[in-house]
Amino acid sequence: MLNDEKTKTTIDRDTLTITFQRKFGAPCEHVFAAWTEPEHMKHWWDPTGLPLSECVIDLRPGGGFKFTNRDSAHSPPFTGVYRLVERPSQLVFEAMGAVGTVRLESKDGATHMTVSIRCASAEHLDQFLKLGVDVNTDRTFDHLVDYLRKSAR
Amino acid sequence: MHKQTQLDLAFAALADPTRRAILARLSQGEATVSELSRPFGLRQPTISKHLRVLEDAGFIRQGRDAQRRPRQLVVGGPLKDVDGWIRPFREQWEGRFDNLDSYLKKMNKPKK
Repeated sequence: MLNDEKTKTTIDRDTLTITFQRKFGAPCEHVFAAWTEPEHMKHWWDPTGLPLSECVIDLRPGGGFKFTNRDSAHSPPFTGVYRLVERPSQLVFEAMGAVGTVRLESKDGATHMTVSIRCASAEHLDQFLKLGVDVNTDRTFDHLVDYLRKSAR
Repeated sequence: MHKQTQLDLAFAALADPTRRAILARLSQGEATVSELSRPFGLRQPTISKHLRVLEDAGFIRQGRDAQRRPRQLVVGGPLKDVDGWIRPFREQWEGRFDNLDSYLKKMNKPKK
């Protein structure tokens, strides 16, 4: 909500879509490679900064991927299937019932990245949000789950 | 049940950029309708309408001064609830993108 945030996060509760926007001082080709090549992907996907213990990418429509964090006890592997591969501007994949879209746009020497996660249902959004909740699940989170279940009807 | 209605109102209230800006302003301290209308370049009735929506959603309330009727942010109000929902997920992805940012900087430098 504040302008000084590096990542702009938007949640559209009507379309159950979560959108992240971020600017990188690197060409689109590099950002695309970072998203689609295991030797790059494994270095940044885990939010803790640890390299992935396993990173499999079959980059073609219908091809699968699997990202396993080193600390897999806390989070299960992230698996899914690519739906659209348009180097270096767009990547669409399906994972855990949601559709993820990565859009890369070159502007003034920087790459503007938009990542959107469109959930098929309120329950799926619930699942995705739960992935981010490790230990500190608090009461407010339960409200979200309740709320989203309600609004999907 | 009641909570869901409140969250509904909260999201509807946050959907408007002017209201988000008013909340940002009030997070720095209370302000009256006329104090708010100046920086936003809006007429007082318009500001009052936005304030009503924010008040109904529980984000703000009237301060003690009955004469000036300043509005203030409700501490621990719905803003905390909304943030509590989104925060864990957002932080996970922000962490990821921070990593990506530093990684891309390394990629830019030739290795050999």
